[in-house]
Amino acid sequence: MLLTFASWLHRTPISLAFQNQVAWLWPTCETIHFAGLALLLGVAGMFDLRLLGFMKRVPISVVKEFMPWALVGFTLNLLTGMIFVISQPAQYFGNPTWWVKVAFLIVAGANAFVFETAYGRRAAAIPAGEDTPMSLKIIAGVSLISWLGVLVAGRFLPFVGAGVGAGL
Amino acid sequence: MEDFLLRLQESDFGVWVSSAPTIFAYPTILMLHTVGLAMIVGPAWVLDVRLLGYGARLPVEALRGAFRIMWIGFFINASTGIALFISEADDKGLKWIFWVKLLTIALALVVTTRLRRTVFGSGVASDVATPKARTLAKASLFLWLGAITAGRLMAYIK
Repeated sequence: MLLTFASWLHRTPISLAFQNQVAWLWPTCETIHFAGLALLLGVAGMFDLRLLGFMKRVPISVVKEFMPWALVGFTLNLLTGMIFVISQPAQYFGNPTWWVKVAFLIVAGANAFVFETAYGRRAAAIPAGEDTPMSLKIIAGVSLISWLGVLVAGRFLPFVGAGVGAGL
Repeated sequence: MEDFLLRLQESDFGVWVSSAPTIFAYPTILMLHTVGLAMIVGPAWVLDVRLLGYGARLPVEALRGAFRIMWIGFFINASTGIALFISEADDKGLKWIFWVKLLTIALALVVTTRLRRTVFGSGVASDVATPKARTLAKASLFLWLGAITAGRLMAYIK
């Protein structure tokens, strides 16, 4: 099924358009992808460190004001990442390391969702200077580890597992 | 020069980095280079946008710790960068874009140290950036973006 989907996607007009532009499109998207990861990890990482107990004098809500920049980084990387996958679907669907990256992405996303829905208001109410509860520290730890996992799996993509789906 | 680059590349260490059949050679070193990138550029950009006026409720002083993360990232990337360079010295050393990358990083380092001195050098950092601090913040933003761009293009420009 995956094979059918990959080869269908590979023949769609949008994929063909990307493939024909690959000479300049791919390096440009890669550059944006690396800048985006720095922005995302820089801002989200700062927020996680705050939840872990660093910068205690600053209210959590104030550090959270920077999160739109993390969202900018994430959006840039989602868009450029989709361009990579649409251009060369089999290269990604056939690579187990890509699925590890996707799994880390799902963990990071679910973790952020849990924070927003269940802990967001409680976190905002913690006065400056007070220690954060263990639940928030765990959420911050999961966030740091899963985003790092996304980066590591992404960087290992061309080296680990790339051969597995060569026939796909 | 080229003879020297070739000898670097063909040294035991250079060959190990480029061709050892283990994930701990080239793939891990390259991965750490990206982790270091995030540790340098991420905090740098947070500080830059704050100095340019974004998130003004955040005391600039709270970002003093950013430099420690950046220096650790820089140490990681200088070490891994040297290892990566040795492994492909005869290729990368002859590319103009590689020297553009090094120049951009050198300028970014000068800007970063001056930014640190200007903003954090005398007691508690002011929450309103001086025009000089704003100029340095803009320079930092674009120089780190330039370093990333040049680094990426090293894989494409002959």
